[in-house]
Amino acid sequence: MNIETPGGNKQEPGPYQPVMPRTWWLQHRYFRFYMLREATVLPLLFFIGCLLYGLYCLSLGETQWQHWLAFMAKPWVVLLNLLAFAASLFHAKTFFELFPRVMPLAPPGLMIAGQWLATLLVATGLTLLLGGWL
Amino acid sequence: MNDTTQAKRSDEPVWWALFSAGGVCFAVVVPGAILALALLPAFGGFSADNLSYPRISALLHDALWGLAGLAFIGSVICLPLFHAAHRIHHGLHDLKLGGGLLSKVLCYGSAAALSLLALYLIS
Repeated sequence: MNIETPGGNKQEPGPYQPVMPRTWWLQHRYFRFYMLREATVLPLLFFIGCLLYGLYCLSLGETQWQHWLAFMAKPWVVLLNLLAFAASLFHAKTFFELFPRVMPLAPPGLMIAGQWLATLLVATGLTLLLGGWL
Repeated sequence: MNDTTQAKRSDEPVWWALFSAGGVCFAVVVPGAILALALLPAFGGFSADNLSYPRISALLHDALWGLAGLAFIGSVICLPLFHAAHRIHHGLHDLKLGGGLLSKVLCYGSAAALSLLALYLIS
C-alpha cells in the first residue's frame, strides 16, 4: 500500500499492512487440518443436542421416550451421529498425541496407548451397561 | 508491589481449564457414549428392552445415589459444551466473524445455559 508524501511521490511504501483474507486457512495443508479439528465440535454439538432432547423426553414420560428412541433411529440422525463418532475419534487422536508433548510423564508411545485404553474401557463399560450385560 | 499498577486478572484460565477438561471428556467418554446411545441401538446391537423408559430412568436417577447420572451429564454434556464453546469462539475469530466480547458472551453463555438445562432435567 502506498501513501501520499509531501512531494507527491506515490512510490514510497507506507506502513506495512498485512493482508489476511477470511480464507487464509485454505492456503496451507497444516491450517486446513487445524480448521478441520476446530470443526469437530459441530457434529459433537449435534450429538449433545440429541442427548438434551432425550433428557427432555425422559422428563415427560414413557410415550415421549419412545418418540426419542424412534428419532434416534432415523437414517439422517444415525448418519450425523456416525459423523460425530468419527469426529470424536479424530479429536481423540490429536488430543492424545498432544498430551505427552505438553506433559512428558512417560515415553510418548506408552502415554498415547494408555489414553486409547481409557477410551476403549469407557466405551466397553457403557456398551455393557446400556446393552444390559452389566 | 503497589495496588495502583496491579494488572487486571485475566479470566482466560477459567475458560482454558473448562476447554481442557471438556477436551479430555470429548476424547475419552464421548466416543463410547455415541457408540452405546446412538450407533449400537440403531444398528440393532441391543434389544429395545435395554433402553426402556424404566431402566434408563433408574440408571440416570438412582444408580450410585444419582452420582452416575450426574457424572454422565457432566462428562458427556456440560464439559464438552464448554469445549465446543471455546472452539467456536476462537473459530469465529479465525474466520474474522467474531472473537470479541459478543461472541465470547454468546458462546460461553449458551454453554452455561444448556449445562444448567441438562442438570435441571435430571434433578
